[in-house]
Amino acid sequence: MSKIPRNFKLLEELEKGEKGLGAESISYGLTNQDDITMTYWNGTILGPPHSTHENRIYSLTIICDESYPDKPPKVKFISKINLPCVDNAGNVVVSEFDTLKNWKRNYTMETVLLELRKSMASPANKKLAQPAEGSTF
Amino acid sequence: MAALPKRIIKETERLVSDPVPGITAIPKEDNLRHFEVFIDGPSSSPYAGGHFSLELFLPDDYPMCAPKVRFLTKIYHPNIDKLGRICLDVLKDNWSPALQIRTILLSIQALLGAPNPDDPLANDVAEDWKKDEKKAIETAQSWTKQYASAKLQE
Repeated sequence: MSKIPRNFKLLEELEKGEKGLGAESISYGLTNQDDITMTYWNGTILGPPHSTHENRIYSLTIICDESYPDKPPKVKFISKINLPCVDNAGNVVVSEFDTLKNWKRNYTMETVLLELRKSMASPANKKLAQPAEGSTF
Repeated sequence: MAALPKRIIKETERLVSDPVPGITAIPKEDNLRHFEVFIDGPSSSPYAGGHFSLELFLPDDYPMCAPKVRFLTKIYHPNIDKLGRICLDVLKDNWSPALQIRTILLSIQALLGAPNPDDPLANDVAEDWKKDEKKAIETAQSWTKQYASAKLQE
């Protein structure tokens, strides 16, 4: 397998996101449609059912700098959330979140969002008391 | 990393030894499937005088699938969008393994000389183009001066 360059990987991710070909429970896209560097992204996670997140929509920002995808993106919740891997400013803490900690080059922003959603639905986290709906960091 | 297929090596050698006028394509040292490309705007087009930077990548399936190409220089063209993505048949359904990197780059250069607002990728640009072609050409010229001037990149 040859190594796909950053920009072409991000274009593939963008296309998947634009066409809605990925999972329905999450979404992502460029913050600015004319960001030719494709650095700043917005993501959303639909709260998993049977958890304190049910029916909530969480907004996040994702930053894919020049080191992406060799290094993981920087992920931050805009919507307030109580989750062990998220610090009190909304940042997803790399050392506390396996997908970022053990990052692999073939992972995508979709991987990150889906794994965060899985963490929200895990037995340990699904009953955690949550801040008021609609509040932000 | 797997060895580079012979076909890619041959194409690369010829691009360097026998370059197409107005086009350069040089593979990057850390990834020989990833090329830094420059295309000069055709002289009879609104892009004349422009020196456009692009990047090209040959996926694993090349030449069974087309190279991936995008503009890095901002350009006002109905078939090129804000992210530099190009709408061109030979990059999509009309790709054939008989085509090459050089033929693709020539097609892109030709697209600069023949914008096609009836098959748009950048809808807003295509609309401007159809409404007032003269003004659209002026905008394309002024963007070329502003973003693609060869002097700026030296």
